[in-house]
Amino acid sequence: MIRGESGAFADLYRKYRARLHQYALSLIRSRTEAEDVVHDVFLGLAKQTSAGRSPREPSAYLYVSIRNRCLDRMRRRPELPLDDLDLDLVVAAPGDEERIELRRLLNRALLALPAEQREAVVLRTWHDLEFAAIAAMQGTSINTALARYQYGLSKLRKELGVHGR
Amino acid sequence: MDDDRLERLLRGYRLPDVSPDLDDRVLSGGVAIMTRARTRATVQDVGWALLHQLGFGYLAWFVDLVTSADAEYRVVFL
Repeated sequence: MIRGESGAFADLYRKYRARLHQYALSLIRSRTEAEDVVHDVFLGLAKQTSAGRSPREPSAYLYVSIRNRCLDRMRRRPELPLDDLDLDLVVAAPGDEERIELRRLLNRALLALPAEQREAVVLRTWHDLEFAAIAAMQGTSINTALARYQYGLSKLRKELGVHGR
Repeated sequence: MDDDRLERLLRGYRLPDVSPDLDDRVLSGGVAIMTRARTRATVQDVGWALLHQLGFGYLAWFVDLVTSADAEYRVVFL
């Protein structure tokens, strides 16, 4: 981004907002806090860019910032019980009966996964991140990131398999 | 349900929409920050250009004189 270029900032926000919002939601499991995190991260980026310190890879900067801010907030408050959560990490398109039927079950199963497995499944499935990138974000090896994804999928399969046709 | 079918099923889901309120907050906040920065940079550029026109060399000489001259301090006992 060129210094002071608000059009580029708006484009970048529109490109990444849905993905980063879902990512924040999957980590912090609170709609309000996820929105606050996305807000803070983008305004932080605007400040950096205005000061002539644009990150070289904006997408990597955004993902890492979202993760760090979510983890920071999660350290400062107790984890919400699963029963108190009313969140959708994914939604089904209108008319897609199979997915509409499984949506509630899938969202609940996703939210019930251990945090690292949920993160790996979300980033791989809906963000198309490579396992190397997921591993780098989680500060682990590629094999561990891959294993977390596979364990996560296996648990989802168990939950959905009973109901899947 | 096998792996391929599960992955296809999952990828068919969409991401939830972002609230219009968040859009407003981020876009208005970001644009305000960048506008302020642009204004600050413009004012700075104009200021330097003006100083240059009015004798930037004299100012530089004066700043140099003030910073390089040894200050004299004296304590007066009353």
